Amino acid sequence: MGINRNVSLMTALGYKGESPFLTYILHRIGGSALFIFFTMYILVLLGVDSVNVVFSNWLFQIFMLVFGLFHAINGLRITILDLSPKLIEHYRTVINIEWVVYALVCSFAVFVVLRNAMGG
Amino acid sequence: MTTRTLPLAKRGFNFETFMWAFTRFTVIAMYGLILAGILGALTLSAQTGANFGDILYWAFFPNLAENPLGQIWMTILAKLMVIAFVLSACGHGVHGVLEILDDYFTSHLARRWSRNFVITYAVVASLIAIYAIWTS
Repeated sequence: MGINRNVSLMTALGYKGESPFLTYILHRIGGSALFIFFTMYILVLLGVDSVNVVFSNWLFQIFMLVFGLFHAINGLRITILDLSPKLIEHYRTVINIEWVVYALVCSFAVFVVLRNAMGG
Repeated sequence: MTTRTLPLAKRGFNFETFMWAFTRFTVIAMYGLILAGILGALTLSAQTGANFGDILYWAFFPNLAENPLGQIWMTILAKLMVIAFVLSACGHGVHGVLEILDDYFTSHLARRWSRNFVITYAVVASLIAIYAIWTS
């Protein structure tokens, strides 16, 4: 039996699922971004030089870092909770810790990209 | 809130359960390879004097950069690790993309074809990556 999906992304983002739902949405966006990145990577391996120009663009690098790092850090949180079910009782605390770690790592990564982009 | 854990025998070992486990194991492999790759690149950087960034750039884009590693065994090890990482990433991504597509494709036919397409794409992309990395 097919399932109807009648909820747009904007409506979904307005859903009062708070932080756990936001991580769910961002994890999917990050995964999709990494899928596009993987496709571009394969094209570069095939010798499509124009894709390499996009890779060198600092805006693209920041976009990939913001979403890719979130996907990686949130994935680590999901894996830890899956492997340690007792921690699920504290999942909101774990998510809060995840946000702090993400903010620190992402800020540093974006800072490095911006510094290189400005010739520092 | 109480924690509920269900033994594997009661979950039923179908395609979804298998892919859930596969996705978890591949992501653990990716974290391990990232850690080993960073430590390995740092070690090689210290031993050979090559730049850390240059080693990683050559490892992932061997068709665009000169090999900064002198010894053959380092080159082979680096290529094997990158191939293992790309295969893990591809395997991990297959189930994720399928889950997202399943949410948007509602008919059985669309789901079957999206599944066929994504799995075929993953296999072809993996073969291209293995060939390009190994032969560069």
